[in-house]
Amino acid sequence: MKTFEEKWTAWVDDQLTGNELEEFEASLPDRAAAEAEKRAAKKLGVLLQRELTAKSLLNADFFSHQLRGRIEQDDRHDSPSRGGAGLSVWWPIRRLVWAGAASLAMFIAIAVFVMRDKEPSEPSQYLTQIMGAKLDPANGPDATITIFESKEDRVTVLWTEGLKSLPSEYAAK
Amino acid sequence: MLHRVLPWSAALALILGAASADAAHLVWSGLVIAQNNENPKPPPAELASYEQTLKDLFGYNQFEVIGQSRKTLATGQEDWLATSKYFALRVDARGADDAGYDLNLQLYQEKELLVETNTKLSQSSPLVIKGPQVGGGQLLLVLLIDDEQKSTEAKRYHSHHSNNKFQSAWHRFARMFRSRK
Repeated sequence: MKTFEEKWTAWVDDQLTGNELEEFEASLPDRAAAEAEKRAAKKLGVLLQRELTAKSLLNADFFSHQLRGRIEQDDRHDSPSRGGAGLSVWWPIRRLVWAGAASLAMFIAIAVFVMRDKEPSEPSQYLTQIMGAKLDPANGPDATITIFESKEDRVTVLWTEGLKSLPSEYAAK
Repeated sequence: MLHRVLPWSAALALILGAASADAAHLVWSGLVIAQNNENPKPPPAELASYEQTLKDLFGYNQFEVIGQSRKTLATGQEDWLATSKYFALRVDARGADDAGYDLNLQLYQEKELLVETNTKLSQSSPLVIKGPQVGGGQLLLVLLIDDEQKSTEAKRYHSHHSNNKFQSAWHRFARMFRSRK
């Protein structure tokens, strides 16, 4: 069962036929006013059909190209480039990794250096050597020099004999 | 990349430099009066490990330092003096190699040169020069590389002050920087 509004819309669109049309027109209280409204509605429909039709662009390709250029430009402003965006994401991580590795290397270097237990230094294979020696003749004309090494004790001695003896005050600090 | 690597490399070089500086040797030079005493005083720490050798060699039981000097040899080109009231030992380092430091030694009695010698002072091998008789004793000149003394002191220090490895590491680290000032 159609409502009055549905029948009215169908009547305006000339969709009612036969008995249904006759019954509906008979039910109208003011036939002349309804006909006038129908005509106005049709007139409005024609007007809307004419005015609301999408206009075709004369330079569609040009506008499309311009639009794409503008979009790409806006994208570049938002993020420097696609590669740059990747860099901005990964760069702090890479820097962190570098800093971490460098810090670890520094820590290990310092720790090894500082915490190593000093091995007791192995005695050098060399003994101290005396290449030459001379005495001042004024302090003992007969003074002599003897050089010897105590290999067991690893001590090298320059032994002088005949130097002038000095009084005990020469032992002062 | 290069300008990020450079500062780290420089820092590492500094650390390694500090480590190599630690490898420098400390040379102790002393003017020692050896004499016999009924109650002999203990020898100085530098001579403690050679006391018996000195006793055997020279026949005295007391070794007293009347003048001394400690010099850290970094380049092997340093010179220094150890002096007492009447004596002065001048040491002139003239280079170094694996066998030791080339040293020129001059013993002065006031302004008179008594003895001059060229020697190659080796690690763990002290040089002893018998000088003139002084009163009832004998003047001795002793030169030695004092690393052993350094490590003995360090061990004593550590055993007395801390068994904590981190604490001792910190002490060593701090000492390293103090010695570089």
